[in-house]
Amino acid sequence: MRADPFESWLAAGPAPARWGMRALVALATRPRGAALLRRLGPVGQLSGSVVALRRYDRPEVARRLGFDAAAVVARGRALRRAEGRP
Amino acid sequence: MRLSADVCVVGAGAGGAVVAAELAEGGADVVLLDRGPRHNPDDLTARPPEMLARLYRDGGQTVTLGSPPVGLPLGSGLGGTTLVNSGTCFRTPPAVLARWAREHGLELDGGVLDPCFERVERALSVGPVTPELAGRNAEVARRGAAALGWSHGYIARNARGCVGSGVCAYGCPASAKQHVGITYVPRAEAAGARVLTGAAVERIAVAGGRARGVEGLRTGRRRVALAIDAPLVVVAAGTVETPLLLARSGLGAASGQLGRNLSLHPATAAFARMDEVVDMARGVPQSLYVDEFAADGIMLEGIAGPPAHAALALPLTGAAHAEAMADYRRLAQFGLMVSDSSRGSVRSVAGRPLVRYDLCDADLARFRTGLARLRELFETAGARAVHLPLPAGVEPRRARRRDLKLMAFHPLGTARADASAERGVVDGDLAVHGVDGVHVADGSVVPSSLGVNPQITIMALATRLALGLLAT
Ligand SMILES: Cc1cc2nc3c(=O)[nH]c(=O)nc-3n(C[C@H](O)[C@H](O)[C@H](O)COP(=O)(O)OP(=O)(O)OC[C@H]3O[C@@H](n4cnc5c(N)ncnc54)[C@H](O)[C@@H]3O)c2cc1C
Repeated sequence: MRADPFESWLAAGPAPARWGMRALVALATRPRGAALLRRLGPVGQLSGSVVALRRYDRPEVARRLGFDAAAVVARGRALRRAEGRP
Repeated sequence: MRLSADVCVVGAGAGGAVVAAELAEGGADVVLLDRGPRHNPDDLTARPPEMLARLYRDGGQTVTLGSPPVGLPLGSGLGGTTLVNSGTCFRTPPAVLARWAREHGLELDGGVLDPCFERVERALSVGPVTPELAGRNAEVARRGAAALGWSHGYIARNARGCVGSGVCAYGCPASAKQHVGITYVPRAEAAGARVLTGAAVERIAVAGGRARGVEGLRTGRRRVALAIDAPLVVVAAGTVETPLLLARSGLGAASGQLGRNLSLHPATAAFARMDEVVDMARGVPQSLYVDEFAADGIMLEGIAGPPAHAALALPLTGAAHAEAMADYRRLAQFGLMVSDSSRGSVRSVAGRPLVRYDLCDADLARFRTGLARLRELFETAGARAVHLPLPAGVEPRRARRRDLKLMAFHPLGTARADASAERGVVDGDLAVHGVDGVHVADGSVVPSSLGVNPQITIMALATRLALGLLAT
């Protein structure tokens, strides 16, 4: 099965940042945790942005906003083949 | 695994791929090594988190230590950072070359580099973006700049058959961006160069004051020791890794400049809510520049991407963030890059690079001015609201370092070139001072910030090095 893209991104981070980021994401996805983070200024903003990265990467959410990653990739592949690019 | 060659090139990015191809085509027996993988274009998905994880070192999560912290994404694999860059192509400004002549004794001004620029631009099919391909995000900024009478223009890019997929930074699914992984690397291979991926170089072997080759590890199903015997080594591991590799090898430290003089072109971006549909991910994300304030060290350049990209960068929280994202189709984004006077450093801590960088007062002032200009640009273009990357209620002129949200895409200078062995790590021919047979060909040799995107400078310097080596 293909790994969750967001999980792969979290896992790709350097070790200390990875642990911190996981903790922030876990907090930000719980109502009381999110409320606490909102009071923490830049850290709160960072965790919110990271959670938003996951949400707006979901194909159904992105498509609703006019971006279809699968269609972009399919068009790119077809062009590559048609024009003989690697 | 042990191989021998005339030349071993370490790093297959902007500098390394160019040197490898030029040398191989000139008849040299070349081995080109890169720590990262060979990326298959069929695996590109246009989805930011997945592509950050695959195409960037540490998932693009490298951050500098200092005030403020700066995100510093770096590419990894054949193509290096050119695989994920925006494709923007600027020649080194003549004023910068003249300054290098005065301050570093480098004889690169007066048209010396022109044949190399031309050669690189031909190889990469560099040409200007058309207004149609530039997309509506660029049109918003163009309209503002034109109304304000600010100097601006469409950017020249290394692209062929581009259809404006809008995801340059996440790997071009159409292979339209002519990054070095699909241009120079195949040329090197066609000319007989051996290209090894998953090959992390640990040190350069030197004996009797001369290069003997490199040693490292090859990762894959098994980790095996790797040794390349070569009388000539070209280091092109990038501005962050090259000084560490030289330091591990006991090279380049005599001047005290190794790992220092790091410039970054720190950058940030603002969003605008427009009445019109913008669809920022349709078109070339970086297609327009506004250079009205370039002499003050402030360059405005396009930036855009899919909803996930915008959501990560949008400087809002909670309900305000959700509301702005619901209006994503009417969001425009534009960036601001500072030609920095701040200087940072790179050193190794527990085997990993630690990048230290603090923004100086002059650069903070540039950000304050630049953010005010970005707001003016968007307001003049008809924005309903402008979201600057500052905490709520903070005006640009009052912004403090810690208020800024910065990224940087152009690290340079940590093995800077200078004719004098007391002031530089490499000389004007990019040879490491104090040793024979070791050269550097990447962003680390560039002795100051450029004020423009650096890939063409790096590739032109790499071309000059290769042609020089072939002539000797
Ligand atoms: C998102 C983004 C957008 C950008 N957009 C533009 C743009 O539009 N125009 C522009 O001019 N510039 C742009 N840049 C910057 C430009 O791409 C870089 O300045 C340029 O690629 C740097 O070239 P380099 O040769 O120094 O290093 P890189 O291209 O980074 O190559 C270094 C290579 O060395 C390898 N390596 C590192 N250590 C080792 C080791 N020990 N052993 C073996 N291999 C090693 C790495 O895996 C990497 O492949 C952008 C950068 C980013 C991140």
